Amino acid sequence: MKEIPNLDELLNSFIDGELAPRQHTEVQRLLAHDEKIAQRLDELQQCKMFLSSMPVVEAPPQILENVKASLARRTLLGEEPSAFDEQIGARHLLGRKLFAAAAMLGLVAVLAAVVYSIVAPTIPQGPIAAERKSMPATIDLAEPAPVIVVAAQFSGRLELQTNTLPAVVGFINRAIEENVPSDEWIASDQKEIREPHSLICSSESFNLLLARLDDIWSKLDSATLFVDTEVFGRKVVVEAVTADQIAGIVNQDDSTRRIEVARDFAVLNNIAEHLPGREILTAIDNTTVGLIIPPKPVLTSNHKTTTKVPSRTGADKNIHLTITVTDSK
Amino acid sequence: MTEVANINLDDAVLVRQCWQGDSAAIERLILKYQNRIYNVILKICADPDDAAELTQDTFVKIIENIENFQGRSSFYTWAFRIAVNLTLNYCRRNVRIGFSSLDAEQVPNNSQPGRLLKELLSDDSSLDPAVVAQDNELCQILVESLKKLDDAQRAVVVLRDIEGMNYNQIANVLDIELGTVRSRLSRGRKKLRQILEAILQ
Repeated sequence: MKEIPNLDELLNSFIDGELAPRQHTEVQRLLAHDEKIAQRLDELQQCKMFLSSMPVVEAPPQILENVKASLARRTLLGEEPSAFDEQIGARHLLGRKLFAAAAMLGLVAVLAAVVYSIVAPTIPQGPIAAERKSMPATIDLAEPAPVIVVAAQFSGRLELQTNTLPAVVGFINRAIEENVPSDEWIASDQKEIREPHSLICSSESFNLLLARLDDIWSKLDSATLFVDTEVFGRKVVVEAVTADQIAGIVNQDDSTRRIEVARDFAVLNNIAEHLPGREILTAIDNTTVGLIIPPKPVLTSNHKTTTKVPSRTGADKNIHLTITVTDSK
Repeated sequence: MTEVANINLDDAVLVRQCWQGDSAAIERLILKYQNRIYNVILKICADPDDAAELTQDTFVKIIENIENFQGRSSFYTWAFRIAVNLTLNYCRRNVRIGFSSLDAEQVPNNSQPGRLLKELLSDDSSLDPAVVAQDNELCQILVESLKKLDDAQRAVVVLRDIEGMNYNQIANVLDIELGTVRSRLSRGRKKLRQILEAILQ
């Protein structure tokens, strides 16, 4: 017998029919020419037959019932969660993660909006209007027709306190006379200085008046503006208000926006009141009392300083303001 | 070939029904394969009680994992892979199987199983396999002889000569190379013959 490597493997594969046709033919040729190889093949075939002849034993009949019982027990006791349960759990976990991520994003978005509303500068209305005016005509044609916005009516009360009551009242009366048409205000009696001034005037007149009143603001001990809201009896109170702030509030076209601005100023002024070091600032401000303040320019011509402002139509008179001046003493 | 294809088609349909939670399909799968799986496990572990329990564990594992069955292999080889892996793990834990003495199971030549075995191992044997199957004592000798093989060889021999799998299916079930199947089968059969000859002496 020739020495053939892996002869047993070759013969076993031959017995099991696992050889390629060419190898099968080769083994058949070997078997025909070598008795020992043929004898070895018989031995291996006997062994195979030996095992194949073993009877098939039937499985115990209770296997099916036992499998059912085992599955039921595992499900009840939760010993080993099924793959299906694991998939459901994984889906639940994924859903919760996604929900948490969405909630986080929403929270960040809300916070960002809040921060932006606080930090972002207010875009002034004027420049926008100017930019629109400077736009090319072709673009204007493409845009919708401009909407004329009638300024909403402002209604409120301004309470002033001073320790130089006569001077302040006199100044206010003069300012009103000079800047507001006579039919737009009801002046208080000079003697009854506690009587309020009731103004129903246009924003143009009011702005002139405010510019004039700004000169006596330093003589006021307090200035509080009460802005009426759409809810009857509810007002926005802006303490320590300045003339600029009043102008900023009153000149808003939209009543909602006007109330928002008033609230912002109220908060700002309140914060400024409670800022640390305010006493120092006040002390520093007081040092300016003794300084030389250049007098404001005064007209020296023959023209009267007071010009009668022409009367306006009722539609323009959108400022309803009551001014009261009291003695702080 | 057609029959095999039909069996596989049936399995695929049953598996799909199992995915849909059809308990009747699960029962049909168990009834279809319980005898074959039980026999393979019994020949590998050589204990009827352990074989019954391992068969039961196999089906529990099959049902619990049937959602994960991707169909890359046939259900038949997938199920047998679970069965053989469980059984081989069990055998590794119970190493007593491999240490029983050959001397304890020597059979006298003049006994019925001894004569049958001698006839089987003779060069010009013409023994009818049905006769072997009917002799319980001889069958027990064969089972005990199989126990002398190491686990890896025993699994290959059982899957080929008792379950009747081809080499590719054995390679799939045991997750080994085709060449490894050939070599293990060759060594296993050779060793089995040596064991049987030793029993007769």
